[in-house]
Amino acid sequence: MAVPVEEAIAALSTFSLEDEQAEVQGAGVLVSSERGATNSPIEYGDVSAYRLSLSEDTKALNQLNALIQEGKEMASVLYTYRSCVKALPQLPESMKHSQADLYLETYQVLDMEMSRLREIQRWQASAASKLAADMQRFSRPERRINGPTITHLWSMLKLLDVLVQLDHLKNAKASIPNDFSWYKRTFTQVSVQWQDIDSMREELDDLQIFLSTRWAILLNLHVEMFRVNNVEDILQVLIVFAVESLELDFALLFPERHILLRVLPVLVVLATSSEKDSESLYKRVKINRLINIFKNDPVIPAFPDLHLSPAAILKELSSYFQRFSAQTRLLTLPAPHELPPRDAQDYQRHYLIINHIGTIRAEHDDFTIRFASSLNQLLLLKSIDGADVDWCKEVKGNMYDMVVEGFQLLSRWTARIWEQCAWKFSRPCKEAIPSESNGSAESLFDYEKVVRYNYNAEERKALVELVSYIKSVGSLMHRCDTLVVDALWETIHAEVQDFVQNTLATMLRTTFRKKKDQSRILSDMRTLSADWMANTSKPESDLQSHGGDESKGNFFYPRPVAPTATQVHCLQFLIYEVVSGGNHRKPGGLFGNSGSEIPVSDLKQLESFFYKLSFFLHILDYSATVATLTDLGFLWFREFYLESSRVIQFPIECSLPWMLVDHVLESQNAGLLESVLMPFDIYNDSAQQALAALRQRFLYDEIEAEVDHCFDLFVSKLSEIIFTFYKSWAASELLDPSFLFALDNGEKYYVQPMRFTALFKMTRVKLLGRNIDLRSLISERMNKVFRDNIEFLFDRFESQDLCAVVELEKLLEILKHAHGLLSKDLSIDSFSLILNEMQENLSLVSFSSRLATQIWSEMQSDFLPNFVLCNTTQRFVRSSRVPLVPVQKPSVPHAKDNFYCGTQELNSAHQSFARLHSGFFGIPHMFSVVRLLGSRSLPWLIRALLDHISNKVTTLEPMTTGLQAALPKSIGLLPFDDGVTGCMRVVKENLNWGTKSELKAKVLRGIKEIGSVLYWMGLLDIVLREVDTMHFMQTAPWLGLFPGEDGQILHTQDGGDSPVVNLFKSATAAIVSNPGCPNPTSFYTMSKQAEAADLLYKANMNAGSVLEYALAFTSAALDKYCNKWSAAPKTGFIDITTSKDFYRIYSGLQIGHLEDSVQVSSNNFEILGDSVAWGGCTIIYLLGQQMHFELFDFSYQVLNVAEVEAGLLSQAHKNPHVAQGWETLLEAMKKARRLNNHVFSMLKARCPLEDKIACAIKQSGAPLHRIKFENTVSAFETLPQKGA
Amino acid sequence: MARAGGGGGGGGITNAVNVGIAVQADWENREFISHISLNIRRLFDFLIQFESTTKSKLSSLNLKLDTLERRLQLLELQVSTATANPSLFTSTTTTSA
Repeated sequence: MAVPVEEAIAALSTFSLEDEQAEVQGAGVLVSSERGATNSPIEYGDVSAYRLSLSEDTKALNQLNALIQEGKEMASVLYTYRSCVKALPQLPESMKHSQADLYLETYQVLDMEMSRLREIQRWQASAASKLAADMQRFSRPERRINGPTITHLWSMLKLLDVLVQLDHLKNAKASIPNDFSWYKRTFTQVSVQWQDIDSMREELDDLQIFLSTRWAILLNLHVEMFRVNNVEDILQVLIVFAVESLELDFALLFPERHILLRVLPVLVVLATSSEKDSESLYKRVKINRLINIFKNDPVIPAFPDLHLSPAAILKELSSYFQRFSAQTRLLTLPAPHELPPRDAQDYQRHYLIINHIGTIRAEHDDFTIRFASSLNQLLLLKSIDGADVDWCKEVKGNMYDMVVEGFQLLSRWTARIWEQCAWKFSRPCKEAIPSESNGSAESLFDYEKVVRYNYNAEERKALVELVSYIKSVGSLMHRCDTLVVDALWETIHAEVQDFVQNTLATMLRTTFRKKKDQSRILSDMRTLSADWMANTSKPESDLQSHGGDESKGNFFYPRPVAPTATQVHCLQFLIYEVVSGGNHRKPGGLFGNSGSEIPVSDLKQLESFFYKLSFFLHILDYSATVATLTDLGFLWFREFYLESSRVIQFPIECSLPWMLVDHVLESQNAGLLESVLMPFDIYNDSAQQALAALRQRFLYDEIEAEVDHCFDLFVSKLSEIIFTFYKSWAASELLDPSFLFALDNGEKYYVQPMRFTALFKMTRVKLLGRNIDLRSLISERMNKVFRDNIEFLFDRFESQDLCAVVELEKLLEILKHAHGLLSKDLSIDSFSLILNEMQENLSLVSFSSRLATQIWSEMQSDFLPNFVLCNTTQRFVRSSRVPLVPVQKPSVPHAKDNFYCGTQELNSAHQSFARLHSGFFGIPHMFSVVRLLGSRSLPWLIRALLDHISNKVTTLEPMTTGLQAALPKSIGLLPFDDGVTGCMRVVKENLNWGTKSELKAKVLRGIKEIGSVLYWMGLLDIVLREVDTMHFMQTAPWLGLFPGEDGQILHTQDGGDSPVVNLFKSATAAIVSNPGCPNPTSFYTMSKQAEAADLLYKANMNAGSVLEYALAFTSAALDKYCNKWSAAPKTGFIDITTSKDFYRIYSGLQIGHLEDSVQVSSNNFEILGDSVAWGGCTIIYLLGQQMHFELFDFSYQVLNVAEVEAGLLSQAHKNPHVAQGWETLLEAMKKARRLNNHVFSMLKARCPLEDKIACAIKQSGAPLHRIKFENTVSAFETLPQKGA
Repeated sequence: MARAGGGGGGGGITNAVNVGIAVQADWENREFISHISLNIRRLFDFLIQFESTTKSKLSSLNLKLDTLERRLQLLELQVSTATANPSLFTSTTTTSA
C-alpha cells in the first residue's frame, strides 16, 4: 500500500516548476516548528518501554527541561524589559491636586511589570532548589537510582546556563532597579490608606534585595546546592564533561559550545567553593586545561548585544566566594578590556572575519560543488531501478557526510559572526568620529561606537559575504530537505545497526567475554536498538550475502528509518555506563585513558560512536538544525544598548542589517550586488525571533517599521544605481572609441560592468512573511525616472537658447541608448511612448509638440532678433551687442549627474563636446532639430516660420510707404565728376531720410528677419536633402530603384514587383510548399506587409524642397504689395530718377547701412549681419527688380565711380588723396555686391523666374508642385495670387 | 529495579526477549510512519514550490498586462482625439505638406 503514495508523489515532479528567479535570498519558509528529535517530542515517555529502570532519571530530566523552557521565557522578559519610568507623565503645577490619582495609576501600571519580576524571583528560587535537589539525588556514590544519563547532564548544564544568563542580564539591566525604586515610592504613597501592608512591604524588600544584589541568583543556587554537602561529584562530572566536549569539539554545534563556555567558569567557581575537596577538581582536570579554554574564548556571546567574559566573571565572583579567591591562576586571566595590546591584536586577528574570509570562501565554493554533486548522484540513484547495493550505500553515505560537513560549516560560520559581534561589543571604537558626522564625540551613542563606527568597509564587505554564504548554503540544504532525508535515515540506520550488530558482536566475543556486567550492558544495547529483520524484505539478495563468513559481520539492508531520540538517549547512557564502569569518581575523563580494563581500540570505537550518536539527533532535526544554524536575527537586537543610551530606538544608520545593505549599494561592488538581499534575511530572522522566541509584539512592530523604511530606501537607492549605471554605460558607449583608445586616461570613461539581471528577476522578495515584487517596483521607478529625465532635459533646453539643441539631442540620444540597454533586461515602457508623452503630442490631430513650440518661440523671441548670420561660415551667431530684444528665461535647473550622462567624467567629456556647439547655430543644429522634431512636427514649425515671413512683410509695408514718402522726388544717377567723394556727398544730401531714421532701422531689422528665416529654411533644405538621400540609399535597393543620368529615378523592372516584395513572396512560397509548415498564414501576412511597405516607401520618394516652397510662399505673400513696391512705369521706359520701387528704398537703406558699418567700427554689421542682404535681395528678386537694382543701386554706382577714378589715378600715377578715406567703405560695398550676387545666383538656381516650373499656392495654403508657367517678363506675376 | 553500587552499574533490561520483539515491531511500524510522513512533507514541499512559481508566473503576466494597459490607454487617448475632430479625417482634399 505504500507504493501508490510514492508513485503519486513522484508524479508531482512531472509538473514544470521552473522559476527564472535566482536564489539570492535565504530560505524564508519554515514549515516545521514542532519540537525536534534533539529534545524528544514525547518527553522520553517511551524510555520505560526499554525497561532500563530509568524512570526516575526521565522524570527529573523532563522537570529540568520544563524549567529550561520557563527560564528562557523569563530571560526574554528580562532582556526585552524596557523602562516604564521614562514614559510616566509629569503633572503640571495646575493639576497638583490630583497627584494622588496619578500615584495610584502609576502604581497599577508598575505593579504589572513588577509582578513579572516577582515571578522571576520566585521562579529562580524554585529552579535553584530543584536543580540542587536533582544534583544531590543523582550524585554518587550514594546513588540509589540509575542516572544521570548524558541527556540529563546536558539538561543540568542548560538550566545552569539559563540561570547564569538570567543573572547576568539582571546585573546588566539598569532600568529594572530604577523602575523598582519608582515603584516603591509610589507604593509608599499609595499604601497610606491601606491596611495590613506588612507582608507586602516585606515582599517588596525581598524583591529589592534580589534586584539590587549582583549575582543574586547564583548565590542563591550556591546556598541551595551546598545545603547538603555532596554535589561536588556531580559538579566535577559536569566540568569534565564540558571540558572534554569542548576540547574534542566534534559533535558540538555552536549553540551548545556557547552554553558550555558560559557555564564552565561558573561551574569551576561553584566546584572550588565547597568546604572540602576544593583541590580534588584539579586532580581530575588540570588547571591548565581550564585556563586554555578560558584563554581561547575571552568573550562569549550571551545575548545579541550582551556578552560574557569568563575572566571577568571569575574575578567578580571571587569576591563572593571566599575559597575561590585563592585560585590566583584563574584570577589573573585578563578580562577583554585589560588585554595587553599584543594579545588583543592576536585575538583581533582571531575574531575578525576579514582574516578568515579567504578560507571561508574556499570552503564555501568547495562545499557547494561537492554538495550539489552528491545531490545529483542521489537523484540519479533514485531514477535507476535496482541499483547496485554497494553503490547505493556509497551514494547515500556520501550525502550523509556532506550534510554533516554542511552543518559543521554553518555552525562554524555563524559562530564566527556571533563571536565577532561579541568581540566588537567588548571593544568599542575609540577613534574620533568619521568626518561625515559633524556631531561631537559625546553625542555618539555607545551603540554607534560598537556597531556603526566599529566596522570598517572591509569588515562590512566580509560580513555581507559571510552572511550570504550562510544563507545560501542554508537555503541550499533547506531546499533538498525531503530529497535527502530518507538517505540520511538509511545511513544513520546503517551506522547504528552496523555498530550494534557487528562491532558490539565482535566486542562481546573478545574483550567482554569474561566481564559479565559489561557484556550484559552491551547486549542490552543490542536489544534496544538492533533491527534484525531489516533484511527480510529483500529475500532474494539475502541468500547471496548470507553465505557468510562471520568476520565480515552481519549483512543487513538499511531501512530508511532513524532511531528515536529515546533509543539514542539510552544508547548514550549505556555506553557511558560501560566506559565509566558505573563509577563517576573515576579519575580522568569520560573516555580518557583511565586504566580501566577496556582496550584502547574498543574505547575509541565506543567513544566515536558515542559522539556520533549525539550528532545523529541534529541530522534527524534536519530543517530545525538548518534554521538554528542560519539564524542571524541577533544582529538586529540592541535592547541592552537602547536602555543604556536612554533612547526609544536608534536611527537605521546604526542598524547592522541596514549598514550591510547600504554598504553593498554604496560600494558598487559588482560581486557583492547579488547579495544585497541577504541582509534583509537578518530582518526576517529577527522578526521571527521577536515573535517566536522573545514573544514581544512591540519588537516585531519596531522591526517591521524599520524594514518598511529600509526597503523603501533600498529600492530607491537601487533604482538610482541602476539608472546611473545604464546611463553611464550608454554614455561611454556613445563616446568615439578610437578617440578613447588614443587617450591616455581613456579608462576613466570606461564603465565597470555590473550585473543586475538576478535582481531584475526577483518577483518575490521574502520579507517578514510578505512577498514583494521587486521587479515591478524597479520597473515602475524606471518608467518614472526616464520621464523625469526627459522632463528635466526639456526644462534645461527651455532655459537655454536655440544653440543648446545639439546638446539636447545628444543627451536624449544617451537616454535612449540607456533605455535600449535597460529594456534588454527589464521590460519598461517603450522610449518613443515616453518621449511622446513628455513631448505632449500624444494626440493624433496635434502636430506641434513641446519641443517644436519651444523652438518656435525661441526663434521668435530670441533667435531671429538677436542672432546674426555669417554667410561664409553658414552660421548664425549671437550679436555681441546688447540684445535688442531682452529675453526672459527660467534659470537652468539643477540635477544630479545621472540626469546628464551618469558620472562626472562622462559629463565633462560630453559637455566639452556640447560646448563646441553652444556658441552658434548651423548645420549640426539643424540636423538635431530635424532629428528631434521628426516628420511629425517639422511641417508645423515650417508653417509657423512662413507665417512669420508673411507677417513681417505686412508690417514692413506701411513702414516702407513711410520711407517712400521721405525719398526726394528724384535722384539722378551719381555724377562721375567729383569721384567717390562727390558721390557720397550727393547720396548724403538725397538720402538723409529726414526724421525717419528710427523707421529705417526698423525696416532693416524686418528685412533681416525675413532673410534669417529664409536662410534658416535654406539650411533646413540642405539637411533634409541629406537625410532624404540617406533614406533613399537605404531603401532604394529594396525597392528596386536606381538614379538615372539626369537625376531621374528609374525602376529596375518595369511593372514587376520590387526586390523586397519578390523576396518575401518567394520565401513564403518556399515555406508554404513544405508540408511541415505549421502556420502558413503568418507568412502570407508577412508577404502582404512587404507589399505595403513597398508602397509606403515609394510614396515617400519625391519630397519637395523646403526652400523652394518657402520662396514661393514669400512671393505669394509679396503679391499684395506688388503694385505699391513695383509700380509699372507710366512712360513705358525704365524710370531712373523718380522711381520709388522697393529696390530704390532698399538701395538707399543699404548704402546708409554700409556707411554706418564703416564709421562706427563695424557695429552695425553685428546687429544685422548678412541676412539683410538675403532678405532684401530675395524681396527684390521676387518683385522682379533684380536688373533694376543691379543697374541703379547707389553703392554699385559708387563702386563704378571709384573704378573709373582708380583708372584715372593709375594713369596719373600719383595723387593718392582723392580716394583716400573711402577704402573701407568701398571694400564694404564690394563685399555687399559679392554677397548680393551670391544671393541672386542662388535664387536664380532655386527659383528661376523665366519659364518657370513653380509651386502654385492655393488659397488654403496647400501647394501644387511644379506647375509649369509660360515664360513671361516676370514669372512672379503669373503665379496665382493669394486671395485672387 | 535499582541496582546500587557494584561494578556493573546501569540497569539491565529485565525482559530482554520481549523488549527485543517489541523493538523489532517498532522498527517496522516506524518504517511505515516515516514513509507516510515523508511523503506528506514532499507533498507540502511541492505545494509550496507550486505556489511560489505560480506567483512569479502571475507576476510576469501582471507586468505584461500593465504594459499593455498603458499602451491601451495611449491608444484610447489617441482615438479620442481623433474622434473629437472627425473633419480632419473625412476630407481628402485638405492635406498638409
